[in-house]
Amino acid sequence: MPEDLADVYRSTYRALVRFLYRKVWDAERAEDLAQEAFARALVHKPENARGWLFVVAANMARDEARRAARERHHLTLLKSEPEAAPGAVEDEIDASTQGTRVRAALDQLTPRDREALLLWDAGMSYDEIATQTGLARGAIGTTLARARRRLVEAYESRSEGQNVARG
Amino acid sequence: MSHVDDGALHAYLDGELSPVEREQLEAHLADCSACRARLDEERGLVERASQLLGLAQPPERAAPPPLHQLGHPRLMWRLRMPLAWAATVVVAIGFGYVLGGGTYRGGPPPASEPIRSVTASSTAESSAGPVEVAVAEHAERQRAEDAPRARAARPTARREADKVPDQAAANVHIDGAAAVPAERRLAAAPPLRLDAIVVTSSAETGRAAARDQPVATAWPIIEREAARALLGTDPVGVPGVPVRDLRRSPAGDAVVLVEQQVDSATVIQLFQRRIEVERVAREAAPTAALAPQPAAASLYGGTERLARFVGSLRVEIAGPLPADSLNKLLERARPIP
Repeated sequence: MPEDLADVYRSTYRALVRFLYRKVWDAERAEDLAQEAFARALVHKPENARGWLFVVAANMARDEARRAARERHHLTLLKSEPEAAPGAVEDEIDASTQGTRVRAALDQLTPRDREALLLWDAGMSYDEIATQTGLARGAIGTTLARARRRLVEAYESRSEGQNVARG
Repeated sequence: MSHVDDGALHAYLDGELSPVEREQLEAHLADCSACRARLDEERGLVERASQLLGLAQPPERAAPPPLHQLGHPRLMWRLRMPLAWAATVVVAIGFGYVLGGGTYRGGPPPASEPIRSVTASSTAESSAGPVEVAVAEHAERQRAEDAPRARAARPTARREADKVPDQAAANVHIDGAAAVPAERRLAAAPPLRLDAIVVTSSAETGRAAARDQPVATAWPIIEREAARALLGTDPVGVPGVPVRDLRRSPAGDAVVLVEQQVDSATVIQLFQRRIEVERVAREAAPTAALAPQPAAASLYGGTERLARFVGSLRVEIAGPLPADSLNKLLERARPIP
């Protein structure tokens, strides 16, 4: 293995959890998925462990989101808060905080813009983001510029009413 | 060099320009105050975006387990769960058989068997894992129903239990402690009231029971018109949830069942009957199975049977969802045209 997976584990675990958390919005689940990704890396011994881990994590988060969407389906019939993740204590605590508003703002981004931004925030380089997303290397700056602008605008434009509605 | 685009500015700020590109950009910035102003603007944006993402952080947790521990234990755990599940099913069926056999006294259910005797008692009967719970439920029902009625209900229940091992397994999760309050309830049963919210525990844990439904396969599927005739009005359902089928009670007691598909794995059931019929049935057997029981919602975390009046109908809801979800669904129940 060109990279020592133990080093990657130390340096990347938190970033991977953070990356996953912003997709599944459940801290415990994010940790589970991150550990699962590393467990798979132990078996597969990928060349570029870090990039590989984020690809696997993104796929797992997508599957997770589909599953959660199915599970949440009945809840969305009941509540006016489709973004509520099931069983996440953290979300309860966060409910009235800025974190929820950031989450809502992130939801306003296109999947590709959001992915690029989350990968950048997880410590990925433009080259790695390009590989991961299939975007051209030269398009990453523009993508990030757009993603950041939309995130900030969506966040700033959200009224306080949203938080009240959640109560 | 013409003015730089946003992408280049962000790449510059992110330190992702090649040395040549960076030099060119800096040369331009030195001459162009407009682009310098934009650079400051974009820098503010980058910082703000990063700050916002920082607000959406998972809470810090204990250090992760050592890497080498990630592989096998989790795999084992995953294997163990289904095995444990299978074991509880076997145990539960065993208990259910013994218990059911012990109380079997023969005889088919009377034609006027109310719906509750079929579904609720089958659930309790099959929750034989914790014998105390089943016994307590029995005792309670026995008190609630007159004796011949209760005995007659059992053969039905046993058949149901044999058919649905999954349901038995789900019930095993209630520990023995639940039986104590259940027994206490016997002493403190309030007078029966027609308008009380009925909560009939089926001793299930919510999520674990997701696959399990009180079965009504013996209930014939009927057309909309037939349901309307039985109810004297449109059947009641939760708007926006596809209706899977309409059924009627095989007992000929004018109970209609609306089954709705919440998602591929979740079906809710709305048992409904005209209030007049309800009242007649109640007068005929004042302590019959449809009678309210003391609130059990706090005793079990799992599926409860909640009831509500919708128009001229009394509607009970059941399904593998938490009680509060069922309650909210029930609140939304409307006549479905």
